[in-house]
Amino acid sequence: MMKRMILVLMALCLMALPMMGAGAEEVLNVYNWGEYIDKQVITAFEKEYNVRVNYSVYDSNETMYTKLMSGASYDVIIPSDYMIERLIRENKLQPIDHTVVDNLDNLAEGVRNMQYDPDNTYSVPYLWQTVGIVYDTTKISREEMEAQGFSAFLNPDYKGHVYMYDSERDAFMIALKALGYSANSSDMNELNAAYDWLREMDKAVRPSYVTDEVIDAMANGEKWMALVYSGDAAYILSENEDMGYCAPKEGTNVAIDAMVIPANASNPEMANLFIRFILEYENSLMISSEVGYASSNAQVLEELSGEGGDYEGNEAYIPRSGYELDEIYHDIPEDLRSQYSSMWIKVKLHE
Amino acid sequence: MDKKKRSPWSFMSRGYLILVLLFIYLPIGYVVVFSFNESKSMTNFAGFSLKWYESMFSDRTMLDSIKYTVLVAVIATLVSTLIGTVAAIGLSKARPLIRSIILEVNNLPVMNPDIVTAIGMMLLFIVPGIQLSLTTLILAHITFCTPYVILTIMPKLRQLDDNVAEAALDLGANPMQALTKVILPQIFPAIFSGALIAFSMSFDDFVISFFTAGVGINNISMYVYSMKRYNPSVNALSTLIVIVVTLILVLVNVIPYIKEKQTKKEAEA
Repeated sequence: MMKRMILVLMALCLMALPMMGAGAEEVLNVYNWGEYIDKQVITAFEKEYNVRVNYSVYDSNETMYTKLMSGASYDVIIPSDYMIERLIRENKLQPIDHTVVDNLDNLAEGVRNMQYDPDNTYSVPYLWQTVGIVYDTTKISREEMEAQGFSAFLNPDYKGHVYMYDSERDAFMIALKALGYSANSSDMNELNAAYDWLREMDKAVRPSYVTDEVIDAMANGEKWMALVYSGDAAYILSENEDMGYCAPKEGTNVAIDAMVIPANASNPEMANLFIRFILEYENSLMISSEVGYASSNAQVLEELSGEGGDYEGNEAYIPRSGYELDEIYHDIPEDLRSQYSSMWIKVKLHE
Repeated sequence: MDKKKRSPWSFMSRGYLILVLLFIYLPIGYVVVFSFNESKSMTNFAGFSLKWYESMFSDRTMLDSIKYTVLVAVIATLVSTLIGTVAAIGLSKARPLIRSIILEVNNLPVMNPDIVTAIGMMLLFIVPGIQLSLTTLILAHITFCTPYVILTIMPKLRQLDDNVAEAALDLGANPMQALTKVILPQIFPAIFSGALIAFSMSFDDFVISFFTAGVGINNISMYVYSMKRYNPSVNALSTLIVIVVTLILVLVNVIPYIKEKQTKKEAEA
């Protein structure tokens, strides 16, 4: 009995050995959002550069940040704009080698010259999207929707037919935008006004507060309108032709996920090659077509939304760019964040 | 049985049992059914297809996560069962005061929220500069599984008659033989259920694994939790796990029964 157990244990240790990376193969550690890539791109990269990509996933910028702070060494990570801003400020990133990543010309107009990193010193955009409204065109006409923008969330005619995305930052963003303020406002008067706006919204349309289940629900046409990310909207529109997408006239949030190399990366040479590889036409095409979020590569955007492309005639696929009122998020201080979240909880409790 | 004798109470208790079983098995059934869905929807069944199984087996990160989960669970179960068994036997012979103190200490990690254990472990590793890796993950799993094993084995040990082990020694067994031939066989069912609990704790742990796993190591829970979007491959994966677990449970229950029958037959022959 004992002997058998020891034997099994030894056999397992033997099995474990190759998994611990006993081989002398070069390794690249990539840390990305879950379900946010076409796996074939990784395989292709491994083949081309004879390297093993150690791919792991996270569910939020904050999770990724915690892991990074624990001293874990990744070579490429793909955080969002405001998180990149924080990482740059804290000196946690190393500059991109522009002699290796020489294809920045591929970048689409909408993701160039971003405030958090205007010259792409530390980051190269990966995928991007905006926040908008998906609505049932058989219930709400296009003109009606475009005319209302975010104030549609205050229209009592839609009571009981609205999904609200349960994210405090996005909720406050639409309130601030609807009131004509900046999405990054830290003015207490403006925040209080936004809080009142959200309470009014809660009373007027009694929305269901949801997260990703909204994607399936809207694809099935369960309610009339919903706040969604344009990448998810592109999927909804491709599943249900009655659905329309509206980028609100008041301006909205543009969110960019970009590739960066942490300061403690152990293989920065390969990381630069990886970034360059992802930005190439074919690879970006595969990723964007698989995930449904807009590519950072101008040519890919054109191809996928053009004739015969995966997102031909899909108004949600290409995020609106160059619209003056659209903003990216900035990193907000801890105390403001807790203000947001306590106010948002009160809104949801109908207080 | 005479049907007329059935009271309304027996009808209700049967209904209650059915309700409880439905609550337990309906969600699992739902997951299994939707793993065969043709479309990506989680509410509309569009037709039968095996494509999510295909996509699961072609997804290397997902397969790696299964490999890591099983590897960690098996090693953690074996080691923590060994440690837990030895500790429990030792404790059963210890002075009552010491025993109760140590058992209280043993209860602490069980009562403690996982997140506290997780952050504690992470700090324990990173403060002296140990890089998080597969090894730290396995060590953490062994640590949180062991108290459960001790907890399961202790009551069984308390039921044992001390005289049996002493009799074995009197009859010429050395201490090691008394342990392996007398004590261990008597408490084997408890060791086995301790191992099962350890295995299931390790298999579905998310929080502690998240904070102690090294770069590039995901277990199934971490992988599923991190998905930015719902992917029915997860249903396929869950279905396979359900099938494997059912098979193991069936085997565990059927094999002793068959063995018993065989020994009976041999005895008769």
